[in-house]
Parts: sequence; structure tokens; C-alpha cells
Amino acid sequence: MLRRTTLKLMATLAAASILPLGALAEMPKTIDKPVTISFYNYNLASAGIGSEATKELIAGFEKKFPNVKVETIAVPSNEIINRVQADIVAGKQPDVAQLTFRDLIFIASDLGGNALEDMVSPAELKEHLAGMIPKGLELGKVDGKTYGLAYTFSTPVLYYNGDLFKQAGLDPNNPPKTWADVNIAGKAIKEKTGKNGFFPGAYGPSDGTFVYQAIVMSNGGKVREGDKLTFADKDAAEAVKTMRDMVTSGAHAKIDPASGSDTFAAGNLGMFVYTTAVLGSYKKAAQGKFDLRIAPMPSFGEKPTAPTNSGSALFVFSRDPAKQRASYELLKYLTSKEAYTIITSKIGYLPLRLDIVDDPNYLGPWVKKNPMFRANLEQLNRLTPNMAFPGPNYRQVEKMMMDAVREAVFGNGDPIATLKAAQEQGQELMP
Amino acid sequence: MTIDASPDISQGHPPLASSASNMGSLRCLAVHAVMVLLSILSIFPIYWMIVTSLRPENEIFSTAFWPASPTLENYVFVLTRIPMLQMLANTTIVAAATAALQVVTGLFAAYALVRWRMRLSGVIHGLIALSWLVPFQVTMIPNYVLASRLGLLDTLTGLILPNASHAFAVLLLYHAMRSFPTEILEAARIDGARSWKILWQIVTPNMGAPIASLSIIAFISAWNEYFWPLLLSRKPENSVVQIGLQMFMTQEGNLWGPLMAAAALASLPILLIYLILQRHVIESFMKSGIR
Repeated sequence: MLRRTTLKLMATLAAASILPLGALAEMPKTIDKPVTISFYNYNLASAGIGSEATKELIAGFEKKFPNVKVETIAVPSNEIINRVQADIVAGKQPDVAQLTFRDLIFIASDLGGNALEDMVSPAELKEHLAGMIPKGLELGKVDGKTYGLAYTFSTPVLYYNGDLFKQAGLDPNNPPKTWADVNIAGKAIKEKTGKNGFFPGAYGPSDGTFVYQAIVMSNGGKVREGDKLTFADKDAAEAVKTMRDMVTSGAHAKIDPASGSDTFAAGNLGMFVYTTAVLGSYKKAAQGKFDLRIAPMPSFGEKPTAPTNSGSALFVFSRDPAKQRASYELLKYLTSKEAYTIITSKIGYLPLRLDIVDDPNYLGPWVKKNPMFRANLEQLNRLTPNMAFPGPNYRQVEKMMMDAVREAVFGNGDPIATLKAAQEQGQELMP
Repeated sequence: MTIDASPDISQGHPPLASSASNMGSLRCLAVHAVMVLLSILSIFPIYWMIVTSLRPENEIFSTAFWPASPTLENYVFVLTRIPMLQMLANTTIVAAATAALQVVTGLFAAYALVRWRMRLSGVIHGLIALSWLVPFQVTMIPNYVLASRLGLLDTLTGLILPNASHAFAVLLLYHAMRSFPTEILEAARIDGARSWKILWQIVTPNMGAPIASLSIIAFISAWNEYFWPLLLSRKPENSVVQIGLQMFMTQEGNLWGPLMAAAALASLPILLIYLILQRHVIESFMKSGIR
């Protein structure tokens, strides 16, 4: 509640403080003089592998561009948008920021993020974007312009515990492919091992909406169409009802929504749908304890899945042309083949450039050693952008939707009616 | 007679005395059993924190009361991955300075309110009390903008200054000072002592208990501060230990072992305060309420 109030207050202040943005001045072609740019980064605010990899990337960039000094500002991911807003209000214009996709529209429309098409010449932009997955580039676009360049992102996969599968009489080499399969496997695990069957990382306070949206969109639903909320419409609501039915059947665990990841890592959950960013920590937790396996996310019957993206994109806010050039060079470096090799192999996120996957100079040797990662790479063909909400109340709308989803899945009332009531309420907060 | 009477007494009363004594013992036993249970409930989370901090990664979720192969690798991880010692030092400086400044500013304000009775004294007192009800989130952005203009972002001074005075400190000392005998203050003034001298040489030395209470509460409160350092700090080495703890909850999964090791290190100074100043701490919370 307090965080929401704070966000609203800051949004108002930020909107009031940002001057009308005209066309950006042309940035120089090279960096001839020393320049310092700020880089707001959430990986640096952690002690995990993401921090080490980011430090390595920045050191590599500064070595390549000795004229550019990158001043890093480390902020946890759930607070980083607040910090960027606060600094804009305080007159400390950020240059580059790693922000989550849920804030995409707000960044483009209210926070003054630069569209790359407005900042960089078409030829130069085309040159850098060549080789990137077109669907990956769509993730950071608003009204056809690229505000965010996908940086550390992933799609949901199905983690499963091979040992629990065997104990339940299931074949771990034949993982569930559809939600009906998940229901059967989940029930078998629950009945024969006493452990929890299935849980998606979709309901916790730090899970965002990407797993939920992936499930909804895999059934042909959407959370909104333009400014109209549609998360209670037929296909979207049926997807949620499938989860509810699995709760009723006993296949879907009834545990604390925030504890799914730890329950799986502890070996007490058969199947868990979540980002590959946690693969490294699961490997360590499973070592010598259980047989960790990965499969693509399940589908609704024959319908193709629509894996959406978690993670972050890079945004440029610089107003000064020299800083814009340095910021753009940082963006280019952080989305280069070299950088994606580090990002994928050291953190576990997806590469935006598929030509490096089997290249022996880049990801080739790592992918050979980590065949499990193929399940995630395979999903890139169906990558579907996670939908952010528009307007200054976007986070409230998102919260209302997720509260309703939790109530629909775990509550006692009619799940469709619960979603419809929330949709009607949320619609009032949409632009 | 005495000899004759004693058998009566011994015959008539011992069962009653014994029964009362048994009842007393039982009650005492029950009270102690409840206290032991409550102690276990209080100590168990601390025990679990320490045990978890000693578990290797693949034993983190084990429910065994002691790790099969205890290790200090989580402590090594904490001390090498984040500037933990620097953060502990920063937190100590911030908490000590905040507590000291709150005592000093509280003494000034309380003395002024007690010593100079004005027409608007009640209003001023009320406004100070009301300011306590304003949540930090309301003043956070103006404070941040001001800190930015003063060049205090990412500095310890910036962490200390906004908390240098607090309504709670003023009110606590005001109420303690009101009970100070005015005759002594009058006598001092007749003897030629000015306000500065009266405050520091007569009033303050007699306010040991409330000052100790305030210092302890302000120190612990500043030690646990999270939101303001989160907003103000830009680099881990300039931040405090509560931010350090948060660094082990990552996008790539929570690092429970290092988190518990860091929490154990972060709670050591506060545990030491409790051990050394146990009586004062309990009295502080009893008298002042838990902030």
C-alpha cells in the first residue's frame, strides 16, 4: 500500500518535472572526449552471479572505450524504477537503465525514455540489430519504436524432479507436454509420494506476470486489448480455471504463493514452471539430492505455447548528445555476441542472437555441456512479448489482476466471476 | 506446653502446608515450563539462522537440526562477495551518530519547551507529536531532492541528517524533563547559571535513565533502517548492512546460506547490546513502548 502510494506520488512528481521532449539533437559519430555516463543496474545490487557477470561486462566495455566512464548505480529490481524516477525529479538525469518489461509503456510515455529510432540513424541501428531475433526485438517496442533493447530475459520452462517422477511410476524421459499431462502427473506424485505435484511461479509478490501471461496466451487469451482489459474474457479465464481445476484435483499444490521456488529446490515439488534464470541455483540445490530436469512449458492440447519473457531491457534516458553516443555504445556492447555469451553462460538468460548458440567461438561449447538449456532456446521460436499495462495506474491494475488470479485459483468462489469483478474494477483505472 | 502443642500443630497443619507447598511448586513448575517454551520459541529462529548459515548449498533445505557437513563457506562468500565489514562499520557509524544527534536535539527541544512556557507551547508540542504520525514515504522524495542538491547522495551524512531529530526523542525527554524540580532550576538561575550551563550541568546529568532508553531505542531503530538507505545509497560500499542482506535475494534465486550468514553477522552487534545492556533495553521498551 505504502509502496503504491509512493509510486503514485513519484509518478506525479516525475511527470510534472519532465520537460516536454522535442526531437533529440544528433549525437556525434564517435566519442572523442572523456565522458561519464550513469548506468542503473539491478544485477549489481545482488551478490549473485548476475553481479559478477555485469562487472565483467562493464570492465570489458570500459577497456574497449577508454574515454567512457560508467558510473554504476546498484538498485534492487523491485525498486529500480522508483530510483530512476526519483533521480529525474532530483535533476540527476539517468543515462542508461536496466528496467523490467512491466514498466515499458510508463518509461516510454511518462518517464522520457529515448526511442532508439529517434536517437540513432536508421543505417547504424539496422547494422546493430542485424542477427537479433525479430521476436526478441519486439519485446521492447511501444507503438513501433524501440524504447528497450532486450538484455537479460528468459521464458518459462517446466522444471521437474526426475526422482519424484520415478517414485510416482512416471517416466522422467517423457515429461508432460500438455496441461492435461501435468494434471495426471501432479496427481500421481501427490498420491504416491505425498509430495506436492505441480506449481507455477506465477502468484508470488516478486514473480511479476510473465508466467501467468504465458499460460493465458498459450490458451489464446490476452490480459488486455489496447486499453481494454481482457483477462476475464473466455480464453484467458479458461486458462486460470484450468489451474483451479488442478487445485481441486490435488495436482496443483496449495502452498504459499511465494514459496514455489524454494519448495521445488528443496525436492518437495514435482513440477515447477519458472524462468531459467534460477537454473544455476537449482543445479546447486539438486546436486546429490535429486535428478533435476527441464522441459518446454506445457500447452493447452494442440495449441502452440506462447512463452512470454521475464527479465529486463536496457533503456537510454540521456539528453546530452555526447552521452547519448556513449550510452548507445554501451547498449551495443551489452547486446553484442560477446556479451550474450557471458549473459547466457554465466547467468542463464537467453541470447538475443541465435547465431552464437552453436558457434564454437561463443556459446557452442557451453550449450554442449548444458543440453538442458535447449528447452529454453527452442521456445524462442514462439517468444511472445509480455504485455505491460498503460497509464499512470499500471501497477495498480496489474496488482488487481494478480490478486484476482490468486483468488480465482485458490479461493472458493466462482473463478470466472472473480476475474470479471476485478476486470471491471481495474478498467476504471485504465486510460 | 510447647512440647505438647507441637504434635497438634504437626498433626493438623503439615498436610495443608504440604498441599500448599505442592501447589506452589506446581504453579512454579508450570510458570517455568511456559517460560522455557517461550524461550525456545524465541531462541529457535536464531539457532536456525546460525545452523542454516553453516549448511552447504545442497543441504540448505534440510530439516536436520545440525548440518551433516558444517562449513564456513557461506561466511567466506558473504565477506568476499559484498563489502560486509564496510557495511557493518557504516551501519555502526550511522546508528551511533543518529542516536547521539537525536539525544542532543531532543534535549534542546525538550528543555526549550519545559523552560520557556509560551502561549503557543501547547500548539508546538502538538505539532511535534503530529509530525510523528507522518509516514516516511511522504517526506521521502522532498528529502531525497534536498539531499541531492546538498550533494549528500551516497554519503553517510545523508543517511544520518534526516533522522537527526525525531518527535519521539523530543516527547520522551520532554515528559522526563517536566518532572524535574523547578526549584532546582530557579536556584541555579539565582546563582547566575545560564540556560546552557543549566541544561548540561544540572538537568542532563539527572536524566540518565531516559537518555539511556532513548539512545538504545534510537540506535536499534537506525540499525534496522532500510528504506532511506535503499533510496540514498548508490554503491554497496557506501551503504548499510540491511541493504547488504537484501543483496542475497537475487533474480537468480535466493541465496539462503549466505543470507543467513550475513544476518548472523548483522545481528551480532545488536545481540551484544542486548547481552551487555539487557536490563536497560527491557526497561526502555517497557517504558517507551516498542517503536
